[in-house]
This record gives sequence, structure tokens and C-alpha cells, in this order.
Amino acid sequence: MLAINLSVVIFLPLAAGLLAAFLPARAARWIVLAAAVGVLAYAILMIIDFDSGAGLQWRTDRAWIPELGVRYSLGVDGLNLFLVALTALLWVPATLAAAFGEWERPRLFFFQLALAETAVLGAFLAQDLALFVLFFDLMLVPFYFLIGAWGRGERVQATTKFVIYTLAGSLLMLAGAVALGVLATPEGGSISFSIAELERRSVPAGAQGWIFLAFALAFLIKMPAFPFHGWMPDAYRATPMPVLVLLSGVLSKVGAYGFLRVVAPTLPLGTARFQELLLVIAVISILYGSLLAFSQDDVRLVVGYSSVAQLGFITLGIFSLDPKGAQGAVLQMVNHGLVVAALFLILAVLAARAGGSESLARMGGLAQRAPILAGVFLVVALATLAMPGTPNFAGELLILFGAFQTHLVYGLVASAGVALAAVYMIRLYQRSMHNKRGDAVASAEIGGRDLAAIAPLALVIVALGVYPQLVLSRSEDATVTKVHEAGERAAAVQGARGAQPGQRVLPGQGAAPRQGARPGPGTQVPPQGAQPGQGAAPEQGVPVRPAVPRGGDRP
Amino acid sequence: MNPGAWGWVVLGFPLAGSLLIAFGWRVLPGRLAGWLATGAVLGAFGAAITMLAGLLGLGAEEREVTSTAFAYLSTAGLDAGLSILVDPLSVFMCLVVSGVSSLIHLYSVAYMTSDRGYDRYFSYLNFFVFSMLLLVLAGNLVLLIVGWAFVGAASYLLISFWYRRHTATEAGIKAFVINVIGDVALVIAAFLLFNATGALDWAGVFTGAQDAFVRDDGTLIAACLLLLVGAFAKSAQLPLHTWLPDAMEGPTPVSALIHAATMVTAGVYLIARAHPLFEQAPTAALVGAVIGTVTMLFAATVALAQTDLKRIIAYSTISQIGYMVLGVCSFAYAAGLFHLMTHAFFKALLFMAAGSVIAAMSDVKSIDRMGGFRHSMPFTHATFVIGALALAGFPLMSGFFSKDDVLAFTFDRGGIYAVLAVGGYIGAALTALYAFRMVFRVFWGDPVPEALALSRGEHPHVEPANPDTGEPEDNDVGFPGPEHHVAEQAWPMALAMGVLAALAVVGGAVGIPGVTATLEHFLEPTFADSRFVEEIPSDTARWIGLGIGGVVAIVGIGLAYRLYLSRYELTVELRERLPRVTTFLERKWYFDELFELAVVRPLARLGELGRTVIESELVQGVFVEGTSGIVRAGSSLARGVQSGYLRAYALFLLAGAGALGLYFLIASV
Amino acid sequence: MDVAWFVVLSAFIFCAGAAGVLLRRNPLVILLCLELMLNAGNLALVAFSRAHGNGDGQVFALVVLVVAACEVVIGLGLIVAMYRRRIPVDVDRVTELHG
Repeated sequence: MLAINLSVVIFLPLAAGLLAAFLPARAARWIVLAAAVGVLAYAILMIIDFDSGAGLQWRTDRAWIPELGVRYSLGVDGLNLFLVALTALLWVPATLAAAFGEWERPRLFFFQLALAETAVLGAFLAQDLALFVLFFDLMLVPFYFLIGAWGRGERVQATTKFVIYTLAGSLLMLAGAVALGVLATPEGGSISFSIAELERRSVPAGAQGWIFLAFALAFLIKMPAFPFHGWMPDAYRATPMPVLVLLSGVLSKVGAYGFLRVVAPTLPLGTARFQELLLVIAVISILYGSLLAFSQDDVRLVVGYSSVAQLGFITLGIFSLDPKGAQGAVLQMVNHGLVVAALFLILAVLAARAGGSESLARMGGLAQRAPILAGVFLVVALATLAMPGTPNFAGELLILFGAFQTHLVYGLVASAGVALAAVYMIRLYQRSMHNKRGDAVASAEIGGRDLAAIAPLALVIVALGVYPQLVLSRSEDATVTKVHEAGERAAAVQGARGAQPGQRVLPGQGAAPRQGARPGPGTQVPPQGAQPGQGAAPEQGVPVRPAVPRGGDRP
Repeated sequence: MNPGAWGWVVLGFPLAGSLLIAFGWRVLPGRLAGWLATGAVLGAFGAAITMLAGLLGLGAEEREVTSTAFAYLSTAGLDAGLSILVDPLSVFMCLVVSGVSSLIHLYSVAYMTSDRGYDRYFSYLNFFVFSMLLLVLAGNLVLLIVGWAFVGAASYLLISFWYRRHTATEAGIKAFVINVIGDVALVIAAFLLFNATGALDWAGVFTGAQDAFVRDDGTLIAACLLLLVGAFAKSAQLPLHTWLPDAMEGPTPVSALIHAATMVTAGVYLIARAHPLFEQAPTAALVGAVIGTVTMLFAATVALAQTDLKRIIAYSTISQIGYMVLGVCSFAYAAGLFHLMTHAFFKALLFMAAGSVIAAMSDVKSIDRMGGFRHSMPFTHATFVIGALALAGFPLMSGFFSKDDVLAFTFDRGGIYAVLAVGGYIGAALTALYAFRMVFRVFWGDPVPEALALSRGEHPHVEPANPDTGEPEDNDVGFPGPEHHVAEQAWPMALAMGVLAALAVVGGAVGIPGVTATLEHFLEPTFADSRFVEEIPSDTARWIGLGIGGVVAIVGIGLAYRLYLSRYELTVELRERLPRVTTFLERKWYFDELFELAVVRPLARLGELGRTVIESELVQGVFVEGTSGIVRAGSSLARGVQSGYLRAYALFLLAGAGALGLYFLIASV
Repeated sequence: MDVAWFVVLSAFIFCAGAAGVLLRRNPLVILLCLELMLNAGNLALVAFSRAHGNGDGQVFALVVLVVAACEVVIGLGLIVAMYRRRIPVDVDRVTELHG
């Protein structure tokens, strides 16, 4: 076991950013890039050295604000290991792409870029809820400046919308986090925001509902998921490309990660109660995102709406509350980050060859003199549409299996999204690379600089496609634990509902169509459903913590 | 090395070939890429033969070898390794696929010579062979789906190979999307099977299904029907067939490879592979058999009315796969696979010969424009006739034995299957009719100018133009370069066609009723668990079937001679008398229009609706405006206080201080 | 002498200063009135200091004097700057910081 200090990992970019701010502009970008490479090296070391069975590793745990029970607590387990690695990986090509560009006030730009990496790494590594909230909101600051100051077009309006919208969610989450910490404090006990401690404590059933909704709203906005994606089109259009890579590739994952890290384990009752609402949102996101993705002309928005659909899949996997679905969600978070980053970098290359236009109608025939570009784009496009053999397939397969297992109908509807993904991605590929050449198109091979940023991503995609087990075997223990209790609760609810049709087990459940989820004839009712007596349990909020099972019967 | 290890070698050859060409295209000199690719597939064929020898060296009970490289998806209860299954069925498929593919590669070396995308073409082609071999060797459902999708992607790439033609890219996207629908169906089927049996590998699923399902279990039927959807998407059966005729936009050798010999038979392979499930769910098998028969008749009628040479052969393929589906869904596995093999021979041959003619016609594909190539292209003519005879089931040709084997077995199952078998004989007559319609219209009759030019020894040479718009193409797009190669002038083409012609003639020898049963015996270990393994029709019955089949074929050919050659005016009159039927067939039973109306347009409309209404009204209107409205209302409250008047601020300050002082005064009392 | 008289005087001066700050529009006068208020405070501090018999209050008063001096410097500087930039020397017309 190597002695890795996670604080160093988190604050290395920030230190480099500060240093860069006081050095000549020419040096600033390379210092920030070097820090990103350093973090990547750490991440690779972590993957190699990770002990799958050992739980939280490389922990840092210091008192920070003892009066409020807030601790500076960091750690890596199977759940965030690959998200940290994804962050570290994506920052390198994004910084590289930015380093080759020309920016006004470059020192400030690269400082913001470094600050953003620190914030995202912090959010992924925090093991204390207050610390998580802090980093979650800190992410907004650098992106506010990066989009607002260096964006294109209607950047001010886009930034305002982005910030107000996500900040509204963040405030709700802050309220939820405080409520969670306070309500979970047992009589006579001291308040704690440690996520591990919150998992052991329990919040009254009634409060779990609204705290869950507060968190869910913040995370869904961040992702974004239908119908909370209103900030996405404008922000995506305005964001400079290297920043967009990070915005879409990494930031969107923090929301999904929050569901698994914070919400499902600490609020199992709330999660079980609103499971179907979230499943409905996930399924609608999948279908709606796909539909819009193939009616867009702006290439950024094609990818943007496809992200809405892909994040719908991730949400579906998480809220199937099944070990398979959750594992698929973790894998898919990594995959989506990889493909979307590669896609945006490629789109920048395409736009440069289409006379600067990012309109699909003005592209076409780009493949003619650019076989390498066409090949790399093809690999990435096929991965995005989750063609079997790509890592995204492994992820979506697990997600769908999880969804089928607990909610067959939602799973079936969602699987239509897989076919729709083929339509919009092939359309994007074809309209840009194939067909007749557009008017302003000058087909040229991809340059060495662009290739240096994109090719590593494509290689990682291919490698993960051959061996997705790399992620799955390391993440299994942590992920399965996270959804275990919520899954039990949900199954109990379903079982009770199945046993006594028509009787509402849980009062006041939102818009979720409860009928749709009842397993139809021919479906295997989960075994927990066989005990109708369990149906009453969620109402009481009795903290039942069964022994955590290992997910599979691996050798 | 054991057969399992050779299985990896079989996979390794084409993959290595594909990667080598993909990465080395810049340094590969001349036409080396083509030869490399051909060599790679030949290597795979050799390895498959070694695999066969290794398998034959084992006892009949042990001829099922699995080999796992590493865990692929093994988490949360799932367990799918990167593993291959070598048994008689997969070895048989490997042999057919790699054998026919190597000939098609050989043909392509000459046919595609002057195409600028030569290296790209062979890289794709090798990748396709790799995918197909992966599909047939896959040891579990997950890997099967991977191979299944790779094949779909390879076919997409090859169909839209001439990617600057709008028609080619449209055809590609159609094929891809329909294939993805099949993939999705397979994923769902895999889940249903996994959920019941807890396994994803073939053996585990089959034994698990024995315990988990009763006969004709609802879930099992659903799973089998989903497997059928997957199979039909790939094998172009109703109603998922529309992509195959459009896929003729690809280069002709691709049509021969993918759309006739190998890829489209994947569905037949899948049904044969999953036979224990279908036997346990006979209802699903019956559905498959009925759809197979209907497809066979439907496609045969459409083939009669089409004028595009390649499309006729494409519909013929759809029709012939209907026979195979009928066979394997009637539990006559060996017969169905027998037909799969012979069909691969003669259909690839027909496509190659058609490619030769189309090259001579400089990319004109309409048979109305062709005629009289008999003398200028004797070799092509001879091979085409052999292919057509085998297709029509002319006595003693390969198709004669295999097709009638399928029908004899089907008839023997009795009940509704007998009705389907009768449908099969009607289909056979139609087959003979359209097969020889091509022969007579293309090769016989008066020579067209192109045929005359060819007999004067002139090379077909034309600057490429888009056949749909007539516009000249500004580069390599549309047809393989300006130099067109015909079998008479290019020996690799002739060699490939010659070998296939020989196979199309003698291929039936492995299954002559009462004489040989080589194929049946070889495949027996795979199907030993079948309940129908002993239920085979008597040799007499099979010979009676053969007799009927032969007569039907000869009558069909005779009718074709009368309708399309000696009394062509009859056909013209028939068309005029029955305009509705003609249009109905020419529009291919309006399936494309139906899809357009039922699927494509509603989806486009929905997308448009989302973009215009939901986005602006709900997402932007309610949610974004709502949030920013709340924020704005709150901020305007705070803003009202900030008047900018210094004296107002001072007043607040004093009032605040006063209030504070007052509070302490009161509190102290 | 009773400390109350000093406190009463201090309160009068403070109120006069406060009234000036609130009612006058010329920044110069406002500054003067602010001085009045500060010195009212000082008077109270010194008075209490004497009444309690220790020097703490006088120390505070000295600190206030220093702060007042600083404040005057900045305030007068602002007024001169406004005058130079031809900004009206009238606090009711300098309202650009309104929300």
C-alpha cells in the first residue's frame, strides 16, 4: 500500500494555479498542465495500488469545525476511485487543448482551470457531507468565470442562467445537508456530518422524503436531467470547448455520484419512497434527450442532449436500486465522461474544418482527406451509442439488467433509448464525415496537437471495452453496499404492494405512476416480496442494517 | 493445441489483418493490402480446418470445448467471460464463413483494384470476418451480442463504403438502426434467460432452462420471440427486412459476403444454437416457422417484379433465408444448416457473376438495360447459370438436395408444418421463375451495346457518376474507380467464381438421402439433446420430396423460358392487365412506406415537437423562468432598500442603533 | 459635578450631529456633523472616565480622535475628487449605487 496523501492530490492543481498566476503568461499553461499530469499519475498509482476488498483507503480525517461536527475527511473507495481517475484523465487533454489556444488574460484562465480541478477532486474525495457541499459549490465559481469571461456568443445570459439555476439547487442541497446532519443526531449524541457516520444513523421516515427531494433536485440540475436541463443548451453553446469537455465530462458526474455516495446510503427510506419518481425522470430523460438529439442542427447540442439521455441511463441504473444497475451506473459514469470529452474535442476539430461553423447542415464530406480523424471519430461515436464491445455497452447492459430486475417496464421503455442513440450518433457521424462536402468544408487530416489530446482518450475507451472488468472488480464492493439498504426497502414496498393491491403503502408519492411498475405476469417478483410483513417496516423508520452481502459469487 | 486454442487463432487472423491494414495503410505498397487481407482470412480458414481436425480427434461426447481468456463482465451476480465455444456447430459455421469469405476476398482483390479506398475496404472486410467468427464462436450471450453488433457495424461501414453518395449513407443508417433493434431484443432476451437460469453461457442457460421453465412457459416464449426479433433483424425476415435490398448500395463483393453468404445467416445460426430453448417453447418456434415461410413467399414475389439485378438477388436471399428459418424452426437443424451452406456457395457465386456483368455495364444495374451477355462473357454466363440452377433446385445441384431436405423434414413434422412445406414448394416454383428471369434477361436475347463492345475486346471504362442523380462524381465515389474488372479478364475473380461454381454443383454431396449424411453426422453432437433427433423422414419420403422439388424447378425454369425469353410479350401483357399487382410488387408490398409512416415520421415529429414546444414552454418557460423569477422577486425586494440616498442609509443606521439601544434598555429593566 | 450633565450635553450634541447628517445635503456639512457626533461620543467617554476614576475612557477617546482624523482625510479627499470631476456636490444627486 503506497502512502498517498489525498490532500496533495486535491490541492496540487490549485498550488500550480497560484504559482502560474505569478509567473509569465507563457509558463502558466505548462505549469497547470504539469499539475494535471501529476494528478493523473497519482490516479494511475491509485488504480494500481487499490485494494478491492479494503473499503475506504488513503484516508485523511482531521477535525475542522469541531463545534459543528464538520471534519476534513477524505478517502478513496471503489465508488470514487475511477471518478477521480476520470477527472484526472480529462483534465490533461482539456488543459492541453486549452494550452494550444490563445486566451485573453491567460494566467487567470489557467488559474481558474486549476481551481476547477481542485474543486471537482475535492467533491469526489470528500467523505464528510459538509466538505462535499463546500466543494460542490466551489465548482461553480471557476466555471462561472470560465464561461462568463472566456465564452462565446450570449455568454453573460448563459452564465447567469447556469449559475442561478444550479445555485438554486445547491442551496436546497445545503438545507438538506444541514437537516440531515441535525435530524440524524441521536438524543444526547453529538452532531456529525461524516458520511460513514450518517449511514449508521437514521433520520425519521417523514423527513427523509423532503431531504431526499432537496438533494435530488440539486443533483438532477447538475447532471442535467429532464426537465431541469434548461440551463444546458445556452451554457453548452457559450462555453469554450476545452471547458465544455470538463463541464460535460466531469461536472455532470458529480450529481450522479452524489446519489450513490450521499443519498442512497444515508436516506434509504426516502430513496425507496421516491424511487419510481426518479425512474420516471430517468426514462423520460433517455427518450426526450434522444429525440431532441436527432432533431438538433448544432453539433454541440446533439452531444448535449445525448448527454441528457446518457445521464438518464445512469440515473436509471442507480435508482433500479439493484447491484447490477448501480455497478453499471458507475461504469457508465466513467464511460460517458470519456466519450463525451473525446466527442467535444473532435467537434472542435470538425468545426475548424467546416469554416468555423458548428452547424451540421454546413458540414459533410469531412472524411475525404482525413482517414485518421474519421477512424477516431468512428470509434468514439460507436462507443457513445453503446455498441456492444465498447465499455458503454457493458455499462448499459448492467444498467438495463438492473432495471429489468426491479422494474421491468421502465427497463423496457428505456431500452428503446438504445436504438434511438444509434440514430442520433450515426446521424451526427454521417452528416459531418460522410455525404456531400459542405460549402465551406476543407477536409484535412487531424493535426498532431489535436490527436495528442484525443487519441489517448480513444485508446482508453478501446481498452476499457476489451476489459471493463478493470472498473467493475474494483468498484463492486463499495457500490453494492451503497444501494443495498435502499434496495431492500424498495423491494419491501413493492412486495407489500404486490401482496395487497390497491392499498397505498406510502402516502403522498409524487407523480410516479405506481401501476406501471407492478411486475406483470411472467415477471420474477424479487424474493423479498415474499414476506408481506416487511411492508410495514419503512413507515416506522426503524434502522435495520442487515449484514452487507457481497454482490456476486465471484471466485 | 486443443481446438479451443485454435479457436482463438481463427479469431486472431482476421483481427490482426484488419488492424495491420488500418494502421499500416500509409506504408503498404500497391495492392498488398488486398493480398494481406486474403491471406489473413485464408489463415483463419486453415485454423478452422485444424480446429475441425482437433474436434474430430475427440470422442463424440467431448466435442464441446470452451476456452476462456479472462473475465469480461463479472460482477453483481453476472458472470460472462471472454470465452469461446468450439463444437461442431461453431466449427461448421467457421468453415463456411472463413471459406466463402476467403474466396470473396480473392474476388475483391481484382474487383476493387482501381478503387481509391482499397485499403480501407480490406480493413473493413477483415473486420467483418472477425466479427462474424466472433459471433459464431461466442461462448456466452454477452459475447454473442458483441459479435452480433460488430457484424452490424462492419456491415454499416461496408454499405456506406462509398460514403459521399447520399443513397449509400442512407442505406447504411437504415441497416445499422435495424440491426441495433435486433441487438436490443437480444439484450432483453439475455436478461430474461439470465433472470431465470442465473447463467449467461450457453450450457448454463440450456440446463438452467430445463429446471426453470415448464414447456411453453410464458417467459420462455417471450425470450424466444425476442431471440427471433434479433435473428430476423440480422437475417432480414419480415418485417425487419427493409434494410437488405437498400444495402445493395455497397460494393458488389460486399453484397456477396455480408448480404448473402455470411451475415444474414447469423439469425439461422442463432436459432440453431438456441435450439434447446425453442424446443421447450414450440409456440415460439412455430411463430418463427410461419414468419420464415411468409417471408420466403413475399420475397420471391417481390423478386419477380424488381428490375435492379442486385436487388433481385437480395430479395432472393431474403426468400432463401426464409427456407433456412423454416428448417431450423421445424427442428430440422442439420437440414437448415445444410441449406445455409449451399446457399452461401451459390448466392455468393450469383453476386460475383452479377458484379462481373455490372462491371461490364459500367454500373448500370437494371436488367431492362441488359441482354445478350452470353457470348461476350461465356465464363460469367456459365457460372451464373450454375448458380441459378442451384438456386432453383435443379436436380442434382447443391440447392436441390438442401432445399428439399428442409421441405421433406418440415412435411414430416405434420400438422401446420405440412401446410408450410406446401408453401415452400410454391416458393420453389417462384424461385426457379425469378432465377431464370435473370438468366434469360441478362445473358440471353439480343446483345446490348456494352455486350458487343466487350466481345470486341474493349475494356469497360467509365468515369464514375452517381447513378441516382446522374451527376458526375468528383472523386472515387460510386463505383470502384474508372477501371472495371470482369471475370473474363481478371484471374482472381475467375478463380473465386470457379471454386464457388464447383462447390455449388457438388456441395449437395454431403447430404444425399440414403447415400451420404456427412453433415448430419458431424453436427449430431450439438443437436444430440434434441427431442427430434430421431424423428427423421424415411429415405423414400425424402426422395419423393426431391422428385417433387425437381419437377417444380424444371417447370419453373420452363415457365421462365416462355415468359421472359420466347414470349416476352406475355409478360408485358400480364403487367398491363394487372397494374395494381405490378405496382404492389414493385413497391415491395409498401413496407418502406409503412415504416416511414409508422416509425420515422412520428419520431421526427416528436423530436420537432420537443424542440419547439416542450423546450421553450416547459423547460425554459416553467423551470428556468420560474427559478429566475423567484430569484428576481427576492432580489427586487432587497433592491428597493438600496435607494442610493446616503441620508437614507444613515437613517437606517441610526434607527438600527437606536433600536438596539432601546432593546438593551428594556432588557436591563 | 455630576456626570449626568456631561452626558446630557453629549446627547444634545449627538442629536444635533445626527440631525445634521440626516437633513443636510452638502457632504461637507455632513462631514462636520459626523465630527459633532464623534465628539459627542468623546465627551461622554471622557466624562465617564473621570467619574470612574481610571484612564480607559480617555484612551478610547484618543483612538476615536485618530479615527476621526482619518475619516476626515478620506471624506475631504472624496469631496475634492467629486468637485474636480464636476460631480454635483450634493448627496441626493449622487445615487449611482442604488440597486
